[in-house]
Amino acid sequence: MLLKSTYNEFIKIAAKPRSYLGLGAITILVGVILFALKADGMSFIEFVTSSFEQTLSFEGNILNGNLVAFIILQMLVIHIPLLVALVTGDLVSGEAAMGTIRMLATKPISRTSLLLSKFIAGGAYTLLIVVWLGIMAVVVGKFLFGSGDLMVLNSDGLVILQEADINWRYFGGFTVAFLAMLTVSSLSICLSCFSDNSIGPIVTTMAIIILFIIIGTLDVSIFDNVRPFLFTTHMAAWRSFFEDPLPVADIRNSIVILLIHNLVFVFISLYKFNRKDITS
Amino acid sequence: MIKHIFILAGICLLSFNGLAQDATQTLNDLIAKMNSVKDYSVDAVITSDIPMVKILPTKATIYFKQKDKFKIDAKGIAILPKQGFTDISKLLAQKDSYTAVIMGNETISNVKTDIVSVFPVSDTSDLVLAKLWIDPLQDMVMKSQITTRSSGTVTILYTYGSQAKWGLPDKLVFTVDVKKFKIPKGVATDINKTSTKDQTKAVAKTGEIRIDLSNYKVNLGIKDEIFKK
Repeated sequence: MLLKSTYNEFIKIAAKPRSYLGLGAITILVGVILFALKADGMSFIEFVTSSFEQTLSFEGNILNGNLVAFIILQMLVIHIPLLVALVTGDLVSGEAAMGTIRMLATKPISRTSLLLSKFIAGGAYTLLIVVWLGIMAVVVGKFLFGSGDLMVLNSDGLVILQEADINWRYFGGFTVAFLAMLTVSSLSICLSCFSDNSIGPIVTTMAIIILFIIIGTLDVSIFDNVRPFLFTTHMAAWRSFFEDPLPVADIRNSIVILLIHNLVFVFISLYKFNRKDITS
Repeated sequence: MIKHIFILAGICLLSFNGLAQDATQTLNDLIAKMNSVKDYSVDAVITSDIPMVKILPTKATIYFKQKDKFKIDAKGIAILPKQGFTDISKLLAQKDSYTAVIMGNETISNVKTDIVSVFPVSDTSDLVLAKLWIDPLQDMVMKSQITTRSSGTVTILYTYGSQAKWGLPDKLVFTVDVKKFKIPKGVATDINKTSTKDQTKAVAKTGEIRIDLSNYKVNLGIKDEIFKK
């Protein structure tokens, strides 16, 4: 029954035009970035390496598909939550707004299974968005710019990773990025259980993300104890896969915190949805 | 008394002139040896140990052709010093642009060398000073120290082996100034970093780049197209 309900949820997501907005937006955004980097990518690289190039020179194909994919991920991963929340924030509240949730609740399926099927469908849509971003960034990036060593700049300096050592890092990075986006999906579905209109959960999800990111980036000591537990802090954990040596403990910590957030959102949603007085 | 001062000044002037002439002769012999190499290609393994930069050793092929064609074809990304490869030969090729003086002697790797200081004639030159430790018997540079306004000081240690007859080294060790490195803010923001960096941790002010050279092909001819790629 859960599988059938999940299948139904897939069909509902596929039938909504807004579901294609995310895929379209990623295609256009990545296309614009690829075009810009193809046209004048070296000036971007020079801005990053200018401090080093007073003394050192970099030889080899620096602007390659691996670097382009990394730049795209860095630019877009923060913005992808909006595209995810646009669809997942509507999964419960949209039905409440349209009045279909009442009929849905009369079906021979428990409310728990019904809501879990929405979580699974939302997760699958999130996976689709992340995979599409990966295809556009890594596959198209490598097709246009070729492959090569990856130069990553972080606060500790420059890390140059060899070409043969990169693909598994992208796989790991995308997996953690998916987990982060899944947290956004879970949050928006959770908020969706508390609302009877579509816009509210979407806007609230984005507001929470913006608030948490501001708290995370503000270098104020009062937030020092809170910052490690905000899910937005761990939304950029995918970057850890591009450090050398690999910060295994940090990655594990990020995965655990994101999983805990997901579980908490699912349990809150189940608690609320099972007690929801469906009158619409 | 005045007579003695004049004699002393004359001796000083003559000895300085003599040192300059010795330096010019030493450099001329060095240039002649450098010019005997019309072209070469060599396989290189570049190992960098630079603060704030993490990179594994990189393989590359280096091409050189007289008078100043130079190209490094790296298999991946390679980090090299901005200066030091062709600067000495370029500098010495323009004999009117510098003045050279022997400043003394020093033993490097059991080889007695002449220390030749090269000063640019022009005030606006990027080069401030070049010091060359030259083996006068084999006409080879054993060590060099180049100071420029733009890149600071680069010290290079040369180790010779199979290609010593051409004056081509088997190993180069560059020591470069790195104190000016700054990471652009914003570009490198790690929002997932919850631990603050230890500000008291000292960062080394020099970095080292070692280049091991092998499989020289000297004076076999290299097409100009290689340098255009």
